[in-house]
Amino acid sequence: MAELCGIVGIGQTKLAAKRVDVSMPGLVREAADRALLDAGLGWADIDAVVVGKAPDTFEGCMLPELYLADSLGAPGKPLLRVHTAGSVGGSTAIVAASLIQAGIHDRVLTVAYEKQSESNAMWGLTISAPFGVAVVAGAGGFFAPLVRGYIRRSGAPADVGIRVAVKDRLNALKNPYAHLHLKDISHEMVEQSPMLWDPIRLLEACPSSDGACAMVLAREDLAQRAPTPPAWIHATAMRSEPTMFAGRDAINPEAGKMAARDLYAKAGITNPRREIDCAEIYVPFSWFEPMWMENLGFAEEGAGWRMTLEGATALDGDLPVNMSGGVLSSNPIGASGMLRFAEAAMQVRKQAGEHQIEGARRALGHAYGGGSQYFSMWIVGSEKP
Amino acid sequence: MAENEETEQSLHATHVLEYPFRRSLGPILEKFFTGLAERRFIGSRADDGRVLVPPAEFDPVTAARLGEDRLIEVGPAGIVTTWTWVGKPTAKHPLDRPFAWALILLDGADAPFLHAVDAGGESAMRTGLRVQPRWVEVPQGSIRDVCWFEKED
Repeated sequence: MAELCGIVGIGQTKLAAKRVDVSMPGLVREAADRALLDAGLGWADIDAVVVGKAPDTFEGCMLPELYLADSLGAPGKPLLRVHTAGSVGGSTAIVAASLIQAGIHDRVLTVAYEKQSESNAMWGLTISAPFGVAVVAGAGGFFAPLVRGYIRRSGAPADVGIRVAVKDRLNALKNPYAHLHLKDISHEMVEQSPMLWDPIRLLEACPSSDGACAMVLAREDLAQRAPTPPAWIHATAMRSEPTMFAGRDAINPEAGKMAARDLYAKAGITNPRREIDCAEIYVPFSWFEPMWMENLGFAEEGAGWRMTLEGATALDGDLPVNMSGGVLSSNPIGASGMLRFAEAAMQVRKQAGEHQIEGARRALGHAYGGGSQYFSMWIVGSEKP
Repeated sequence: MAENEETEQSLHATHVLEYPFRRSLGPILEKFFTGLAERRFIGSRADDGRVLVPPAEFDPVTAARLGEDRLIEVGPAGIVTTWTWVGKPTAKHPLDRPFAWALILLDGADAPFLHAVDAGGESAMRTGLRVQPRWVEVPQGSIRDVCWFEKED
């Protein structure tokens, strides 16, 4: 039987286009300091540090985990780095949790970050290797055909993506940490924004952000003594699959469906839409909300877009999705997965401020990465599982 | 031998990976590099009293944030604590004549840092040698503002 693990501290930086006022160590430290403050703990209380970020080619910082050791109080402690592309923030938190659940450590600090202003994700993702052809299109160019495929398969109305883009930006106005605060956001504004990768418009895509997120995880008895009641981890799941293989369904990937089934089974959930109070999921391009609603089993295949259209995923819907404003409002890539996991935990700890869902007792945090090929997710609750 | 020949003949290509990355220094390291532009060395005092050069943003022992109030000027002269001799410099080395790579403890510092020493010859190089920096004509805020260290006057 695994040890119970609670989230006792959560911290994030202001997410912004450029944080030239801090070094990379200074950025991660800002989030870590806030997580420790929230937990009422000091550096000596931490037994191990688990850090995650996107590929080293983004900022050109080789072995960032070693470069960041001093700023994360890691000298003399185990320091691990996790890497699973865009889902890394989620899988980093899961690796950190597993160190508690396995009974190896008592308290673990986990941190994820990206400094996109000192990086070039487009370049980092499209390195041309000898004898191959580089697809110089970045993430948007890769995902646009999948979105088009989804629209054709599901018969969704053309404006579902626009509705998601507006909803998430309205939510972001309630989140002081969010990068984008578009006060005049409207259906027309999104519709008239430039078409970047047909059918994805500029305002249906995430911004490029600097930022970090950190959490302190603790063993059951220590978590119980936290100054703010912890979020208890009910279940975690990770799955992966190759980017391409014959017969792959990249629109509704099997790895995501497997991870969700595993997650619900571990959490004892049979009807996720009814039993989960809110979900913070990785939606870097608006159409991924309906796509992941299906992949995560909240809707039947082909019906995810109806949830968006009917307002089920709005803050006052029956399954609020991306209460923080989501990836569409802030995308420090390496940190984005952890921000989703942290938002789920903040909701069940009643720490979400203006975007708090009343009575949220069980929340889902979700991240995906690569070519929709890495999935990480957790369910956290205000009560012990 | 046969295996090596086969490897030589197999199809291969060079893979060059480069991009002009940028870095923000933050409030502490910025002082070190702007100091170099003024021909000064800036270190910081750690929680245990040691003076570290370059200055640390975070204490390597206690993990505490070391603020600007911990900054302290050191050097510019110092002492060689250990060294290795480069008898045949290549084009990438800072000197075109034999020189030493040395750990140099600047006056007032408790931790040494690496730089080149132009000692004139291997026989003149020794641990304990007092050295001083030779600066470029127009320092710009880079570690290369120091051409190398040489025997103190």
